[in-house]
Amino acid sequence: MVCALCAAWGWLQALAEQPSEYDVKAAFLLNFTRFVEWPADAFAAPASPFAICVLGKDPFGRALDDILEGESVNGRKLEARRISEAPAARACQMVFFGTTEKDILRAVRSSGHGVLTVGEGEDFIRAGGAIGFILDNRRVRFDINQAAAEDAGLKLSSKLLNVARSVHKIEMDQQP
Amino acid sequence: MRPFRDRPIRQKLAIVTMLTTAAALLLAGAGIILADSVLFRGYLRRDLSTLARIVADNSTASLAFNDPDSAAQTLAALRARTHVAGACIYRSDGTVLATYSARSGFACPPPVMAQTVRSSRDQLTVSQPVVLSDGRRVGTLMLVYTLSEIGERVRLYGATVLCVLVAASLLAFLLSARLRTVVATPVSRLLRAADLVSETGDYGIRAQKLSGDELGVLVERFNAMLAGIQSRDTELRKVLLDREAALREIERERARFRFLAESMPQKIFTAAPGGESDYFNRQWTEFTGLSMEQIGKEGWTQFLHPDDLEDSIRAWRNCVAGGEPFLHEHRFRRADGIYLWHLTRAHPMRDAGGNITMWIGSSTDIAEQKEKEDELRRANEDLRQFAYSASHDLQEPIRNVAIYSEIIGRRYKDVLDADGQQYLGFLREGGRRLATLINDLLAYTMAGRTEIEPVPVSSSGVLQKAVANLSEAIRESGAAISSDPLPEVLMGAAHLQQVFQNLITNAMKYRDIAAPRIHISASAEGGSWRFAVRDNGIGIDPQYKETIFGVFKRLHHDEKYSGTGIGLAICQRVVERYGGRIWVESQPGAGATFYFTVPRYARTTLAVQSSAG
Repeated sequence: MVCALCAAWGWLQALAEQPSEYDVKAAFLLNFTRFVEWPADAFAAPASPFAICVLGKDPFGRALDDILEGESVNGRKLEARRISEAPAARACQMVFFGTTEKDILRAVRSSGHGVLTVGEGEDFIRAGGAIGFILDNRRVRFDINQAAAEDAGLKLSSKLLNVARSVHKIEMDQQP
Repeated sequence: MRPFRDRPIRQKLAIVTMLTTAAALLLAGAGIILADSVLFRGYLRRDLSTLARIVADNSTASLAFNDPDSAAQTLAALRARTHVAGACIYRSDGTVLATYSARSGFACPPPVMAQTVRSSRDQLTVSQPVVLSDGRRVGTLMLVYTLSEIGERVRLYGATVLCVLVAASLLAFLLSARLRTVVATPVSRLLRAADLVSETGDYGIRAQKLSGDELGVLVERFNAMLAGIQSRDTELRKVLLDREAALREIERERARFRFLAESMPQKIFTAAPGGESDYFNRQWTEFTGLSMEQIGKEGWTQFLHPDDLEDSIRAWRNCVAGGEPFLHEHRFRRADGIYLWHLTRAHPMRDAGGNITMWIGSSTDIAEQKEKEDELRRANEDLRQFAYSASHDLQEPIRNVAIYSEIIGRRYKDVLDADGQQYLGFLREGGRRLATLINDLLAYTMAGRTEIEPVPVSSSGVLQKAVANLSEAIRESGAAISSDPLPEVLMGAAHLQQVFQNLITNAMKYRDIAAPRIHISASAEGGSWRFAVRDNGIGIDPQYKETIFGVFKRLHHDEKYSGTGIGLAICQRVVERYGGRIWVESQPGAGATFYFTVPRYARTTLAVQSSAG
């Protein structure tokens, strides 16, 4: 009974404040950690936190920090970091590219082993990113470049693939 | 419609078999259906929970990334389960992400947070939280399953049970036909046997035993019962036949008795156990001149002499009351009015139990006999009177002869010459012998007198007296007299003494050269005491065994053996008076033994007699 009231309350609240696009995307970033398997050598140390890094312009504001507050992946604390250049090896496990500039795209390629790259639009996929957000009829969805993720040594859950709008296999070499 | 208990066993068996089968099947069917519906519900709950978990698991990504399409796709897989009415996936805020409905009109129920399976009459509602791998809840799955399947199953089972029921009942009916032969056939045979017995009354009929079970035992018992009845029937017939035969025999006996009674010269009569006369033979009518009816009506008292009436009736009543034989002398009136003496005897006839069934009596005309008896008695009395008075009257002259011949002998001894002396001696001797003779004659007549009353006496004491009386003669002869212990007898002491004295005198008299040895003994012999007086005298020739007891019988007439020859006659007279007898056993020269018997008496007899006296 109490739970039913809780549920009803939560639902009412959700109606009151429709989440913004980046609130959703922040939540997606968190959720990706649940459907992707990182290799053990993706971390600097056994106790290292799981870092979600925002490269370049930060579109999330407080949303990302809020959503990651208190969360963890396989015992590792989740934390958000803002970085301005390509991250050092094993410093970030997920990198969100806030821009689609060419050099940034290059940075995507340089993102090494054990890093899930997430960006905006189909171009990001084509540029060699693993997951690209897409607005489909005002709804946040994403495409997946399975080849990029596999190159980074990541294993994507079939459920994740199932939810993606489309799954590609774009090899790096074919990129211009 | 007949009630069940009156139906034949055949039908009962069929009905019972079929009812049992049907009941068992119905119960089993109901049990199976009930168990199945319960078990199936449980199975469904588990199955649906699993299904919900799988669907929820497949929906995690859809919820995590808010993708209704993939969620709808996931739910669409439920189409394979025809009884799933619908399913809904809710976001964590309770809004619906995706819906699946198998039919129109399905509406998503409000989400339930907890993992539950709710069951209503016609549907199961499963709620399953959708949880990410880190335990975060991202939404809820609700699944509605219609239970119409259970009804279908129940119908299917019901139909199956019904089919089996019909088939089994048919089979049971067929089987019971076989059972009927096992149970009903022996019963109907038994029934037929019983019917036959009651129709024909022939107890020789037996029912056939077909099995060793209770029915077989029943048949055995039935047969045993019949055998019992048969033997009893036979017995009864035999008894009836015997009875008829016995009745015929009785009739024959009666006829024989009548014939016998009619042909007898005596007057015969019979009387009931109570003494009332119920039959007189023809001799009575001939004698009395009365008709049979008259005799039968008033009985024998009507022609009895008035003087004998009272005595006769009293004696008859006493005999009837005591069951004792009746023996009575009385006078009956002849047709011409003259009374004649009759001796009437009657004996009770008894059955095996000792009860008197009737009296049979006869009356004999003893008028002539009576006449002769009277004459004889008178003659005897006269004779006795004569003998007594003669011997009594003779004593006086004899005494005179003795006295005066004695006086002459003494006073005229010198006057008489030798011849005179001798003649006087003859005279004296003759007188003495005459005196003895007279004395003995007196004793003999005395022995017949009835004045002496019999009383219990010690025969030893009597013997002593006898010996004392004879002491002179014993001393002269030098005899030795001995005796065994002797019993007490019921006799006049004087009579017994007379017997002893005579026998001892006899023994001393007929002696040999040797001194007499006389021994007296007694022994019980039947109902009597047998006394024996043994001597060592000259003995008696067997040819004179009888004659010696006659009056004045002497075997030896020479002077050597003096005596009157009357002693043994006196002994015989006394002994016979008391109902005994006397005899002698001897060989010449070997001594003689005289025996006489005296009836023994019981103390009770004595007591009765003394109280009566």
